[in-house]
Amino acid sequence: MATKKKTTAAPKKAAAPKKAAAPEKKVEQAPADEAKAKVKSAAQAAESKTDKIKGKGVIAGVAVGRILLAGQNLDSFLVNYKAGTVEEEKKKAADALVKVAEALQNNIKKFNDQGLKEQAGILEAHRMMVEDPAMSGAIDEKLEASGSAPKAVLDAYESQAQVFEAMEDEYFRGRAVDMRDVGKRIAKYLLGIKEPEIVGKVIVAGTEIEPSVIAGLPTDKIAGVILGAGSTTAHAVIIAKTRAIPTVVGVGEGIKKMADGDPAILDGETGEILIRPNDEERAFYDEKIKKQEELKAYYATLKTLPAKTQDGQEVILAANIGSPNDVDAANGFGAHGVGLFRSEFVFMGKSDVPKEEDQFKEYKAAVEKCNGNLCVIRTMDIGGDKPLPYIQVDKEENPFLGYRAIRISLQRKDLFMPQLKAILRAGVFGKAAIMFPMVINVKEFLDAKQFVEDAKMELAHEGKDFAQDVQVGIMVETPAAATMAPVLAKYVDFFSIGTNDLVQYTLAVDRGNAQISYLYNHFNPAVLRLIKRTIESANAEGKWAGMCGEMASDPNAAILLMAMGIKELSMSAPSIPRVKERIRNFTFTRAKEILAEVMEMEDGDKIKEYLTNLK
Amino acid sequence: MASKTTTIQNKTGIHARPASVFVQTASKFKSKVEIAAKGKKVDAKSILMIMSMGLVKGTEITISADGPDADEAVNTLVKLVDDKFGEE
Repeated sequence: MATKKKTTAAPKKAAAPKKAAAPEKKVEQAPADEAKAKVKSAAQAAESKTDKIKGKGVIAGVAVGRILLAGQNLDSFLVNYKAGTVEEEKKKAADALVKVAEALQNNIKKFNDQGLKEQAGILEAHRMMVEDPAMSGAIDEKLEASGSAPKAVLDAYESQAQVFEAMEDEYFRGRAVDMRDVGKRIAKYLLGIKEPEIVGKVIVAGTEIEPSVIAGLPTDKIAGVILGAGSTTAHAVIIAKTRAIPTVVGVGEGIKKMADGDPAILDGETGEILIRPNDEERAFYDEKIKKQEELKAYYATLKTLPAKTQDGQEVILAANIGSPNDVDAANGFGAHGVGLFRSEFVFMGKSDVPKEEDQFKEYKAAVEKCNGNLCVIRTMDIGGDKPLPYIQVDKEENPFLGYRAIRISLQRKDLFMPQLKAILRAGVFGKAAIMFPMVINVKEFLDAKQFVEDAKMELAHEGKDFAQDVQVGIMVETPAAATMAPVLAKYVDFFSIGTNDLVQYTLAVDRGNAQISYLYNHFNPAVLRLIKRTIESANAEGKWAGMCGEMASDPNAAILLMAMGIKELSMSAPSIPRVKERIRNFTFTRAKEILAEVMEMEDGDKIKEYLTNLK
Repeated sequence: MASKTTTIQNKTGIHARPASVFVQTASKFKSKVEIAAKGKKVDAKSILMIMSMGLVKGTEITISADGPDADEAVNTLVKLVDDKFGEE
């Protein structure tokens, strides 16, 4: 009884000073309405304090929107769930099926009204999965075992997902994802977790985000992306990059401070995130957004201009792509060809080795879209981290140091030959180049090159057209290749420096590990020395060196790399204008002075700071 | 109890769309309707059961029904299959 009295008394006391403050302001401020508004906003700010979270900005730009949590983990909710008797739980589950089906039906209608047929179609399939008579039986069965309705729902849909996953037909296998999605939706209803309604723009946040989450939302709805993991090369980030969506990664536990529907601001440059910002903070970022729009308009004017320093040194700015369609977007940003075509998409999601003919069509499309500029196609770069049905990799302790990429290609003629033949044939329709990933020694390159010669022989034999002059080069992404660059340069047509792996392997830092990602720095002197050595080795042999890693999209790095003698920088297309602007504002002479200065410096962070403050 | 056997002829087999058309049609009847193929028999009113059978072009299926409108159900569904679900 005593405690009850205390709690009722507390709010009264707290309310008293507020009342006293209001009239005071009224006296000061003449128009009553304005005063009221001020008091209100001050009170709002007091009750919802801004949460500031700092991550690593990877895609620049300011985004404003509401948080949409992806890949939510239900475990903690399941543990706290209070289950009733089995009969009660059965009733709850049955009721949830009806309610979720109704909710889906509403959304289907909404999408149909908006003319979003595709989204409506997906939800229609989901609705049928909810209403399916087989599921209610399966859920009841699982309920007997677990006694919890949400758990039983998840289990039942998981079992069905596994049935689909085991099927031969690729289409049916893909439905496993839908089954899990539906199961989660029903479980969330049972656990009382509200489905976020997408009103206006969203900032998608999650410890890890399934690529399908971003791909599945309409582009104009996603304002930004927040990733708990530290990876700048997660698939979700790669997708965000091609769409130029402001993104912050590596916020770690910060994700826990967010709830669905929270208003948020994200700065993809500084890595700052504000959850439930106050009016003042909002105004600050509104100004930033305005500037951003102005900058965008300015960048558009750069599109057709060359990436040339004021004293006439030019570099080629090309695009990294994952599928032929990306070339169109890249051309829009003023890309001159493709410096890295990740051919993995040709291999992913297939149950059998992709056919030469199918690959040829894809490569030809990309080469043609490059309009006479070079299109560098990297051969298969897959390993034990993403096993495929037709590439058997035994369980490995560390797939990134395991059986992958060129190591597989060289042993699997059945995989390698169709790809090489397809690229050689695509070369007829423009300018194609072949690039081998993960090379660590001369022998690997020579063996791979022999495959190219064999592929040409076979094509000649089969009477198929192919390009004789396709350049053959390697990706320099291992410290071994960079160290041996002077020797390798004698044999290759070109080098393309893959900094993501080169930095990771040189510094022994896993770029996906948020705890140590501060060590990951492409300006680390050890890395810079390897890069310089690689570029100079190529030039000494009359070959060209380019770069296709993350570093190439850093405007500050561009200056250094040009001074080192790089000929091409390949990056995600939206980064091109920024890099181009930097180059056009510098002279080559100045760049060389900066390089000399930087090579004398001993600390990567200091180098980064020095370059950032350059005017 | 009525039953008839036929062969799936549409190119894509019973994928999501044909399956949903099939289930919606089957659900209109009061009778219990079942599909048998590849030695398995499932509820024809369950899209999941049907989809998980992986029915592709050329699969022989038997549609059976038990109830007041059994004959009509079997005839309608067999016709749907033979008409390739209105595809092509």
